[in-house]
Amino acid sequence: MRASAVAGIVFANAGDNLLKRLTSKRSVASVPFGARYRLIDFSLSNLVNAGITSVGIITKENYRSLMDHVGNGVHWELDRKNGGLYLLPPYLTSGAKKYNGTVDALYGARDFIKRCKSEYFVICHANVLANIDISAAVEEHIAKEADVTIIYQNGIVGAENSDNLALKLNKENRVTHIDYNLSAGTKTAYGVGVTIINRDLLLDLTEKAYEEDLLSFSVDVLAKKVKQLKIYGFEHSEYAAFLKSTDSYYQASMDLLDATVRRQLFNPKRPIYTKTRDDMPTKYGTKADVKNCLIADGCIINGTVKNSILFRGVKVEKGAVVENCILMQETSVGEGAQLNNVISDKNAAVGEEMVLKGTAQKHFFIKKNQIV
Amino acid sequence: MKNKKCVAMLLAGGQGSRLGVLTSKIAKPAVPYGGKYRIIDFPLSNCANSGIDTVGILTQYKPLELNDYIGSGKPWDLDRISGGVHILPPYQGQDGEGWYKGTANAIYQNLEFIERYNPEYVLILSGDHIYKMDYSKMIKLHKSTGAACTIAVLEVSMEEATRFGIMNTDENDTIYEFEEKPANPKSNLASMGIYVFSWDKLKKYLTEDEKNPDSANDFGKNIIPAMLGEGELMKVYRFNDYWKDVGTVDSLWDANLDLLNPKLDLNLSDKNWRIYSRNAGMPPQYVSENAKVENSLVTDGCEIYGDIDYSVLFENVLIEEGAKVEYSLIMPGAVIKKGANVRYSIIAENVVVDEGADIGGDPAVVGSDGWGITVVGANLSVGKNAKISANKMITKNVLEEEEI
Repeated sequence: MRASAVAGIVFANAGDNLLKRLTSKRSVASVPFGARYRLIDFSLSNLVNAGITSVGIITKENYRSLMDHVGNGVHWELDRKNGGLYLLPPYLTSGAKKYNGTVDALYGARDFIKRCKSEYFVICHANVLANIDISAAVEEHIAKEADVTIIYQNGIVGAENSDNLALKLNKENRVTHIDYNLSAGTKTAYGVGVTIINRDLLLDLTEKAYEEDLLSFSVDVLAKKVKQLKIYGFEHSEYAAFLKSTDSYYQASMDLLDATVRRQLFNPKRPIYTKTRDDMPTKYGTKADVKNCLIADGCIINGTVKNSILFRGVKVEKGAVVENCILMQETSVGEGAQLNNVISDKNAAVGEEMVLKGTAQKHFFIKKNQIV
Repeated sequence: MKNKKCVAMLLAGGQGSRLGVLTSKIAKPAVPYGGKYRIIDFPLSNCANSGIDTVGILTQYKPLELNDYIGSGKPWDLDRISGGVHILPPYQGQDGEGWYKGTANAIYQNLEFIERYNPEYVLILSGDHIYKMDYSKMIKLHKSTGAACTIAVLEVSMEEATRFGIMNTDENDTIYEFEEKPANPKSNLASMGIYVFSWDKLKKYLTEDEKNPDSANDFGKNIIPAMLGEGELMKVYRFNDYWKDVGTVDSLWDANLDLLNPKLDLNLSDKNWRIYSRNAGMPPQYVSENAKVENSLVTDGCEIYGDIDYSVLFENVLIEEGAKVEYSLIMPGAVIKKGANVRYSIIAENVVVDEGADIGGDPAVVGSDGWGITVVGANLSVGKNAKISANKMITKNVLEEEEI
């Protein structure tokens, strides 16, 4: 597959309103995840690992931290002359406020789509956590002369994938029916939020849908055209998670403590790239007691930490006990403090002897820069 | 070509033969340090943080790994439109250019490189030490005194002074004498091998030294004494912070474990003086339910299922369940398998220590006679249940059950 034959688009705000506290000041794409990443790192890395060199990030609001994180794309090798990384915020013409639905978003990005000379586009959603072999999917898309390819996974409908597209596939893996909002417990093939589509078709469908005031590209456009278009499915059989709530965010974070999940997500053949910070390695003190944890660089651990995720630069002082927590960048936990089921945003500080206990159902949330 | 105020020349050509197998395939400045760095990250980061944007790196011995690592210099802000980092290997020319004969000759052969920037000052560095230093302060002092050469010195104890090049100075910090490893030192100011020269003076003395066929073409042995002999104004710049030579197995091991000392004076997490390095982007480290990690430094990509104590783990190291590591350095990509025991050792890159192997010796058990750090060279394997005692340098694969 020629690199320039395929370009990428990422919806940076997919699932924004569902992740609530984590997205009050940032888009889903820049939600910190996995000790050293932001969610968009997975979509961006999937695209560049497939050899894609032009990527447009469609964003509708709260994109300052996203801009700061992706910069000119250097960490994903997208700072280039051929191709590049393009941030696509809404054009603020009179009346237009921000994108309302994916049709609107794609219509707003049509200049970018037109300028890319690529024949195919891969459209991703930033709240999808997976390491996907997009290259293989594109190869099959081309071989089958498909109009659209939806990457899917076989499984059961649950809370986190209930509004993914549900696909019915025939023997040749052609999509014969697209459904959505299936009831929990149903066994089905569901989309993982990655779609491959031919460029001219994308432009054509988008323009027509915009004129008709349609909202969702997948539900109002693709789902209605399964007969007219050649839509195929491509299976992704490894780990995938859809972050649509604080619960699914927490669960996906804890999934990282499983060696198989780590092996699949952090596949060395398709590494996940992110912005680097030049921290020193993490230091474990004499009294450090760490069990079943995922830890980034730059931490200083002198207390007890169990079943937790520690981002870069987190400090856990002597006598502190941290269990089942997600502590984001630069969080500090004072001497003797006890934390259970706590999610702390960047730069949170927990004072000495403080006891903060959430539950598995309702996590205790510490806001960015908050001192407790 | 834009004029620069200062050009730094980093001598990175030496073999570092005292590091044995650790430098059998790579130059000393490329040797891993501190979990995620290489020795050369220190002078390069010091340059970046001191505002020096033009650095020539003189390579000679086995430069491939170093060249790859430096690349275009981006991690150290040295990928620039004008200036930046330049790898300077020996080259053939019409005037007898060739292999570098000594530290001074290496610079002499690159006078044309420096001339392109027509600087006021030239900073000579080596890639042998771990330290943080603001070179701009040294250059400022050099400029203010009008000296021909300023030499950075570290105050050492009188006993240690016998091992160094010692600068004897007057009350104005002017150097009047230089003694190499004096039996009876007159001062305790040890040369750090860091020099600032005024460009025209450097040119003059290097050119003259080249004409002398008996010269060793060395800064310490030839250039500095020559300048002193001609009455040039030479000053010291006093340095008081952490500075560690990592030229021997013992000192490399020591310097790494220094990072575990809570009283240590070398702060690598200082946001105002970051040490940059080129990193591969590994996932975060994972410590398992049954692992025990104490008093250690661990970085990205590591998966720990066993016990580690007082050790430094570099990137992407796997410690299997039941393995024990203490007082050791485990370099990038190494694997310590189930039930293996490693103590007081340096395990180089990508080594596989197989199940049940036992490596290294505890000084308390072995006694001070005959104890030393054991080193296993890069990419080697140590077979199941093999035993390697203290103070060994392993340069080829060790077979199952073999005893060394």
